[in-house]
Amino acid sequence: MPILRRARARGADADDVRSDLPQGTLDLLILKVLAPEPLHGYAIAQRLQQVSRDVVQVQQGTLYPALHRLEQRGYLSAAWKASDTGRDAKFYKLTKQGQAQLESGTASWERLAAAIGLILRPEGGRP
Amino acid sequence: MTWFGRFRRRAALDRDLDRELQDHLERRTQALIAAGRTPAQARRQAMIESGGAEQVKEAVRDVRGTRWAHDFVQDVRYGARSLRKSPGLLVAAVLSMGLGIGANTAIFSLVDAVLLRALPVRAPQELVVLENDSFTNPIWEEMRRLAPAFSSGALAWSEERLDLSNGGETDPASGLWVSGSFFETLGVQPALGRLIDPADDRRGGGPDGPTVAISHAFWQRRFGGDPAVIGRTLAISGVPFTIVGVVPARFLGPSVGRSFDVAIPIGTVDLVKPGGPQSQLDGRSTWWLSVMFRLRTDQSIDAATAALRGVQPQIREATLPTDWRAEMLTRYLNEPLELSPAATGMSEARRHYREPLLALMGIVGLVLLVACANVANLLLARAAARQHELSARLALGASHGRLIRQLIAESLVLALPGAVVGLTLALWGSRFLVAQLATSESAVALALPLDWRLLGFLTGLSIATALAFGLAPAWRTRRVDASDAVGHATHSRVTRRGAVSGPLVVGQVALSLVLVVVAALLGRTFSALATRDLGFDPDDLHTVGIELRRTAMEARPELATRLGEAAARVPGVRHAAVSVVEPMSGMGWNGPITVPGGPERSGRDRMSMFNAITPGWFATYGTRIVAGRDFDRRDDRGAPVAIVNEAFARHFFGTPAAVGRRVVMETGPGESAELEIVGVATAAAYRGVRSDFPPTLYRPAAQMTGQLPPFLSLALRTTPGGASGLHAAVTRVVRDVDPTLTLTFRTMAGRVRDQLTEIRAVALLSSFFGVLALVLAGIGLYGVTSYGVAERRREIGIRLSLGAGRGQAQRLVLRRVALLVGIGSALGVAVSASLTPLLQSLLYQLEPRDPLTMGGSAAVLGAIGLLAGWLPARRASRIDPAQVLREG
Repeated sequence: MPILRRARARGADADDVRSDLPQGTLDLLILKVLAPEPLHGYAIAQRLQQVSRDVVQVQQGTLYPALHRLEQRGYLSAAWKASDTGRDAKFYKLTKQGQAQLESGTASWERLAAAIGLILRPEGGRP
Repeated sequence: MTWFGRFRRRAALDRDLDRELQDHLERRTQALIAAGRTPAQARRQAMIESGGAEQVKEAVRDVRGTRWAHDFVQDVRYGARSLRKSPGLLVAAVLSMGLGIGANTAIFSLVDAVLLRALPVRAPQELVVLENDSFTNPIWEEMRRLAPAFSSGALAWSEERLDLSNGGETDPASGLWVSGSFFETLGVQPALGRLIDPADDRRGGGPDGPTVAISHAFWQRRFGGDPAVIGRTLAISGVPFTIVGVVPARFLGPSVGRSFDVAIPIGTVDLVKPGGPQSQLDGRSTWWLSVMFRLRTDQSIDAATAALRGVQPQIREATLPTDWRAEMLTRYLNEPLELSPAATGMSEARRHYREPLLALMGIVGLVLLVACANVANLLLARAAARQHELSARLALGASHGRLIRQLIAESLVLALPGAVVGLTLALWGSRFLVAQLATSESAVALALPLDWRLLGFLTGLSIATALAFGLAPAWRTRRVDASDAVGHATHSRVTRRGAVSGPLVVGQVALSLVLVVVAALLGRTFSALATRDLGFDPDDLHTVGIELRRTAMEARPELATRLGEAAARVPGVRHAAVSVVEPMSGMGWNGPITVPGGPERSGRDRMSMFNAITPGWFATYGTRIVAGRDFDRRDDRGAPVAIVNEAFARHFFGTPAAVGRRVVMETGPGESAELEIVGVATAAAYRGVRSDFPPTLYRPAAQMTGQLPPFLSLALRTTPGGASGLHAAVTRVVRDVDPTLTLTFRTMAGRVRDQLTEIRAVALLSSFFGVLALVLAGIGLYGVTSYGVAERRREIGIRLSLGAGRGQAQRLVLRRVALLVGIGSALGVAVSASLTPLLQSLLYQLEPRDPLTMGGSAAVLGAIGLLAGWLPARRASRIDPAQVLREG
């Protein structure tokens, strides 16, 4: 009986990530992390945390919806494979489409970052 | 994976997700152990970090976008399951929905076929028809010549029953006389071969001789759809016609409700119907053709009418009848010609069935309303009973929207089977209706395909109905409060339910009363018509239509007499006689009568119906001669005589005593005969069951030399049940008299039945719906009253314990029923009084607001209400006060 109001685990809650991630950025980060090699969910979270030096900490309630969304859009493909510990894990792999998305996403991110930098930098001077 | 794939594979996806999250949890636990925590601590820490496995899964499921669909499926399942627990409700609701939808769709498909649908021809909206029935061939030829001046095409046609036999018993077929331009201008393409073209439409036939195009149905029926039919010949009134082609199945002719078997060129009419001194093609007072024009693409109907009126004097001059008297000639073709849109075709059927069909449409519309009210009421009762459940679910976190969605899903669970039942009923019902409307003479041919408009109408109806009754309970849950979940919800809300369903039941009673009144009016009309004394006895009366193709005018009276005498000798025949006009055949023969020395009369006042008969005709029909005598063989060579009926005597002499008086009858242009009246017969039906019995004058056929038409009606009064072998025996004796005659057998009872076809169908259906409405109203009242008793159990128990009698308790309940029925009936009488005048044209000897019918119907409803209220009232009086107080 559908009587329970679902207590939704909402994505992009402020405390998911220690430093606020702009909308859509997490998707881009996941694609980037997966570019060199396929990884499973836990490893993706670890990698993001390591690379960002603990700034980006993604909770499962944010990570897994994002992974499944990216998979539905065709940017990632997933398969169960044996991992280094010997146990099977679900590995996500960048597809061709994902690769293209990563490139265009990175390019537009850089453009945006440069533009924001121009605006935030004190006029004429250096920090 | 596609949306549909995700929808279908939900269970597999959930298992996969479960495993994935489990793996994550274990990896994190391992990592924490490696960092120095105890396994228990590590596991706990990992679980806290995850933020709750269920929440994560919910978030992932949201990503899939299939939730609403799963919810819907779940709602439908839940709805179906909970409805299964109350099968009574399910059956009542599905049946009333199905009947409502089915009846509406069936009637609508007829309304559509008869009144709305355009002819299956090219650009039907460009077609206009020349008003005023029919025109002569000279007028048509003149119009055809001038048509290019005011239209892009003209066509003419005429319908007639033709005979395909070569003598003996007739082999009737529906014929369509067509102009050469008919199919071409309509834009109808042949299904096989070619259709009639202008070259065929010449006097005496075209280059291929007399040609005929046959309808698709006739091709299938007669020739089994054999393609080799082209080039074969078909005898029409004994004349060979060459079959040139087959008309496509979807074109049934220009008349809706009528189909044709053979289409033959107008130019060949003289081959089929020789006879008269003048060709039907040249006859300037033989009005038999209908005319249609096709407008030019940019031309308005007004412009075409104006152009046509411009050439009207020219047409009139060219076609003036030569034998008309001057006073008549001034009226010839002088009314301005009128064009009207003909996109939906012409129809006798439309004129006939328009009123009955619209009445039925109104009736079934009311039935649908009653059914909806009923279903809404049933669901309201259910919603009230489920208030506790709904409150509980709200308290546990379901949103109002979610509850409303679920209630709508449950309504759909009811509506969809309702729609299926409705569709079945509609398919079956419209065919049943068409069969009801068919007469022994002509089947009603209507194209009734299940087209998209019909489907759209059905779907629209079911959705509208589902929403109508789905929203009533849903709207109530708006006011359900989560705090009500704590038990006394049902106590605090009960009065509100009464407030909603009271008006519903009142409305239901009112609508039911309207339906009962309509059914009673139509039923009384039918029974009055069916039992009307026609002035003759139609039972055991057989008639034989006889065509005299090759009999000279002068020989016809003698032939009539000999036929009557020969037929009277057939075993099982008690009386036999011949007349020119067969009563109830729809044929009429009338003319002016002058009473020498009587007052000057004019117009219709001096008209009488005529018939020419042989001796024994009154005995054969069972019409009494009240004064004087019947004709006999002495009249053959005697003085001119006549028998009149009482209506004639009263009209022209003011007294039934007419024997011995003299009248002058016009026998032709400028000719007249003075007749002595030798007998007076009782008045009898002439043209139809509904018409008054007209003044009628009978002449001996033997005295009508040179005036008898080429057809006669032989009437046979048989002994009860003496019809077996009659056809063969009569055919034999008739052929002995003259082997060239063709015969068509009918029964007078069949003729009478045919005339009652429409009213019988309408009365039957309206009675059915009237009874249905009564049952639904009874169920509604019973439901509301039972609920009311359950709701007031405590109050009644307390009253009883304080000394109220059982009777008082019953009255308490019945008072409410009486109130509901009273208000409903008053409303129903008011609505009936404003609606029934629409039925005027269907009624016979009955005022639309007939007080007896209204009062009787209200009384019936009152009785039903009493019965529906009595059962719960009895239950109320048996409430045990002690028990109620203990429950307190």
